[in-house]
Amino acid sequence: MIYTFTANDLWFMARGAGITFVLTLVAGALGSVMGFLIGWARTSRNPLLRGLLGAYVDIIRSIPLIIQFVLFNSFMAIAGNPLDPFTSGIITLSVYISGYVSEVVKAGIESVPAVMSKAARGLGMTYAQDFSNVVVPIGMRTVFPAWVGLMLGLMKDTSLIAVLGATPPELLRASQIIINRIQEPLLILLGAGAFYFVMCYVITLFAGRYEKSWRQKHEVAR
Amino acid sequence: MIEIDNVHKSFGALEVLKGIDLVVDKGEVVCLIGASGSGKSTLLLCINALEPIARGRIVVDGIDVHSKQTNQDKLRRKLGIVFQQFNAFPHLTARQNVALAPRKVLKMPPKEAGLLAEQHLEKVGLGDKIECYPAQLSGGQQQRLAIARALAMSPDYLLLDEVTSALDPELVGEVLDTLRMLAKDGMTMIAVTHEMPFAREVADRVAFFHQGVIHEVGAAGALIDHPKEARTREFLGKIL
Repeated sequence: MIYTFTANDLWFMARGAGITFVLTLVAGALGSVMGFLIGWARTSRNPLLRGLLGAYVDIIRSIPLIIQFVLFNSFMAIAGNPLDPFTSGIITLSVYISGYVSEVVKAGIESVPAVMSKAARGLGMTYAQDFSNVVVPIGMRTVFPAWVGLMLGLMKDTSLIAVLGATPPELLRASQIIINRIQEPLLILLGAGAFYFVMCYVITLFAGRYEKSWRQKHEVAR
Repeated sequence: MIEIDNVHKSFGALEVLKGIDLVVDKGEVVCLIGASGSGKSTLLLCINALEPIARGRIVVDGIDVHSKQTNQDKLRRKLGIVFQQFNAFPHLTARQNVALAPRKVLKMPPKEAGLLAEQHLEKVGLGDKIECYPAQLSGGQQQRLAIARALAMSPDYLLLDEVTSALDPELVGEVLDTLRMLAKDGMTMIAVTHEMPFAREVADRVAFFHQGVIHEVGAAGALIDHPKEARTREFLGKIL
């Protein structure tokens, strides 16, 4: 019996790409919200809060993601609360990316010249009004490209969810299943690479267009 | 009226204000002069509570600025401030820059705030730059924008921290002209400046700062042309 690449296989990979995309979207959104709050808290004046969150981020960034997947999943099972692989995977991915996002957010907030906040507060704005109307819009524009880079990295990291045996499989795991059957690794990996590229390129394209809409006119004159 | 009474302030071990006394009446223009590091700019930040003080009292229209009971956000509406460094919000047009605080702080409807912004921009000579972003403005225009932004909150006092020091020489004049106009309108101003001709012309009084104290204070013309203290003479001799 000859094993060949069929339309079904293409559908299988496309569905995997869809799962990869959704994983990226959900974990990216959750992780960005968490990362924003953590990054903001890390600019606080409270040294205890800063220290604790700094340690949290160091730990998350220093342990390979694949270990975090297995550890968290096993921990929940041992604790008597087994999660399905997708839920467990999304939680781990969100927490993981939140550490990186918090660094970017912190850098963004710190990039805003202190005189901007002094000017805002000098006009009678409260801390909250200054933060939401001045610091965040200026700082987050500065680090937007770095954040997009994190999201593209996250898309590729979602493939590590395979260690949890999540079904239906995301793009890379789906590709491996087909490779095992038809023994055409180069062809299939090339195809998988093309899927990843297209998804990343679409994000880059939209991000670039969004960025361009403000970049030229808003850039701080120095 | 702004009453500054025996104000002390330190940054770490460095005492930058060592007992400042000064009273500024409504309608008065007072220029603060002196070498950099003498505490002039710090005093401005203390007057509108952007910096805390260690000892003493600052009272603005009967309100103790640094008292715990004082709502400092509300107090700052009376005290407009403009800085040396460019501080126009880069992500907003000139109109949006000026309209932001009236909208957020005074809860003015956006349309009304926009019209108010246009009035103030026209007043400082930026009527044709309303839709421009700060990056499209020269330094002098950015400083005038910052002045318009402060004026839109209808402050009773204007604090000016070396607003022309970061400007190219050819742009200084347009900003000083704007300040002259405000002085003529009767705006109460405390201005840290190195522009002696401007101080002599516009200020009612001049205070000379030296190492954290007011070394000499007096009528502008008298102090600049005939300083009594040796240190004042020395300082003026260097910069005039």
